[in-house]
Amino acid sequence: MGVKVWRWVFTLFLMLPVFLANAWGAELKVTSSTHYLWYQDILTSDNERDIAEYLRINVTKLDKEGKVNIYAYGRASKQISSSEDYQGRLYYFYLDYRDALNGFLDLRAGRTYVNAAAISGLIDGAYVDLKKVGPVGVTLFGGRDVRFQEKKEISVRGDAITGGSVYLDTLLNTHLEVSYARKYNDTNTARENVGFDFTTTPLSRVNLYGYVKYDLIAEATNELLLGMKFNPFQSLIVRGEYYESYPTFDTDSIYSIFAVNQYKEKSIKAEYVLNERCQLSAGYAREEFNDGATADLYEVGFTVKPIQDLQLDVSYEARNGYAGQLKGIRGRAAYRLLNKATIMAGADYDDFRREDSRNGYAKKYWGGLDWEITKNISTVVRVEDNMTYNYDHSYQGLFALNLKF
Amino acid sequence: MRNRVITVALLGGMACLLVFSLSFARMDHREFKKSKPAECLECHKASGVMPNHGPFFLKDHRLLAKRANNNCYDCHEQSYCIDCHKGGGVEPDVKKSTSRTGEYMPTTHRSDFISVHSVKAMDNPQNCYRCHQASFCQDCHSKANRGMMRIKSHQRTGNTQIFQWNADHAAEARRSLQTCEACHPEADVCIQCHSSGKVNPHPRNWRDIKDKYRSESGGRTCKKCHITY
Repeated sequence: MGVKVWRWVFTLFLMLPVFLANAWGAELKVTSSTHYLWYQDILTSDNERDIAEYLRINVTKLDKEGKVNIYAYGRASKQISSSEDYQGRLYYFYLDYRDALNGFLDLRAGRTYVNAAAISGLIDGAYVDLKKVGPVGVTLFGGRDVRFQEKKEISVRGDAITGGSVYLDTLLNTHLEVSYARKYNDTNTARENVGFDFTTTPLSRVNLYGYVKYDLIAEATNELLLGMKFNPFQSLIVRGEYYESYPTFDTDSIYSIFAVNQYKEKSIKAEYVLNERCQLSAGYAREEFNDGATADLYEVGFTVKPIQDLQLDVSYEARNGYAGQLKGIRGRAAYRLLNKATIMAGADYDDFRREDSRNGYAKKYWGGLDWEITKNISTVVRVEDNMTYNYDHSYQGLFALNLKF
Repeated sequence: MRNRVITVALLGGMACLLVFSLSFARMDHREFKKSKPAECLECHKASGVMPNHGPFFLKDHRLLAKRANNNCYDCHEQSYCIDCHKGGGVEPDVKKSTSRTGEYMPTTHRSDFISVHSVKAMDNPQNCYRCHQASFCQDCHSKANRGMMRIKSHQRTGNTQIFQWNADHAAEARRSLQTCEACHPEADVCIQCHSSGKVNPHPRNWRDIKDKYRSESGGRTCKKCHITY
């Protein structure tokens, strides 16, 4: 999108909600976050400095019942350490009409995020949810596929997503959904998927869930997940999952013609709430890559609150097998000060062995402050020192000023 | 044919369940927006709704978020999804780091993620593509010194530009073809050995699916290797 077009979009983005709020007497909420970042681009070794302005505008209660709302969110950024031009991203800008026609219809029109078992993405179009077509609901969505890369939008005319789903959630504690979607690259069909998603709790302490994404062009199951959660008593959840995936590619990618292997993963995880101040978690996964290549992944973690305003989070992860080894520990402490500010600090340590490639360790130390200066003004400061394979020290940081009005 | 059978089976199963469907409406949770997760248990205790937002919710949440008519929007604005999945940052989180281009990164990205990512990416290769386009990998790999990567399947011979394509490369490519795409977006290097009349790279069901790829890509993919197709 050219700079002139962006100026128009941002002018509209800023002016239209304000105009609507005035004309209809609607409620206007603006959240602004101005960032100053400094970091090292490790590919070029250059120290970079950016400024970015994030703006979220909510115009609500456009009608008496508060069902019609407008939501907008975008970013403008500039790398001030180089001559790079201003960049912009419009994340969303849509009209939301909830519970229209006596609760029969939800509608989102404009730039909005859609998410279904068959596909997900950001579209310039519409999402419609017909919630009561007999015992089922029906969703329909379609529009231009919005893709971002390197701080800007890279979609071309003819990139699109269309689809819909039929779902049943009128059965107690059960959701069943079948979805269908197509993705277009420059008007050619790039993907055609069917998704199926379910969750049900047949017994009060047993939950079964899963989903399938089937690629109709490759005639292959792109992803399959089956899982069971067991809640033997209130403070413990144990789950087992089976997952498999088979990579598929857009039809215009040369990689779509190559044979690939299926990836399989079996895992078991547990979460245990010891008391209000202590929570434990542990997990194990067995990964299978075909032809005898496997990996084992272990993870444990805990969260404790030794005193009222202090929280400690620690997690450990170990991976061993195909593609490499990784042993990493991560710790974080957060202290709430006078109910107005949170001081946080953390450290990461990772020891890694990439298969036939680089070995080493990495450390990260960081500290930060999240300070609520007034009800509507707050600030976030974070500084970080990275000790990596490439650098003894690589510093980066963020200063953000947040305003709500 | 197979896909039709699956679609019909899924729809059939759904239709059977409809027969037994009860009248149950999802509850609006907007009034509980400011509750703490622990307070949810007051209603949800043994009610058939499993406690969520626990230690593994970072990975689990996509299952809930994919469902139509879900509860997410009762408490979270769409920006909450966007800030991780599309590089937003209107609610800066002091816990989160930023990438080499100044983008907000989710906490799944560990220290020195540039060095670790090739290992982490193998823990379910689909995960990367939930947030990144394939071209995201090419952005770095096209600039990086490829000789430094020392990939097991194609080690460079001394200081020459000749690579030894050993027997591992086929297995590695089949397990993680996306990683090949990171350095070779047009697969030019693959085509040298795998074009028409040479080593066949196609999957077993290629005869069944090749017409779809030919028609949907307008033959553009086929032309890279075949004169007639």
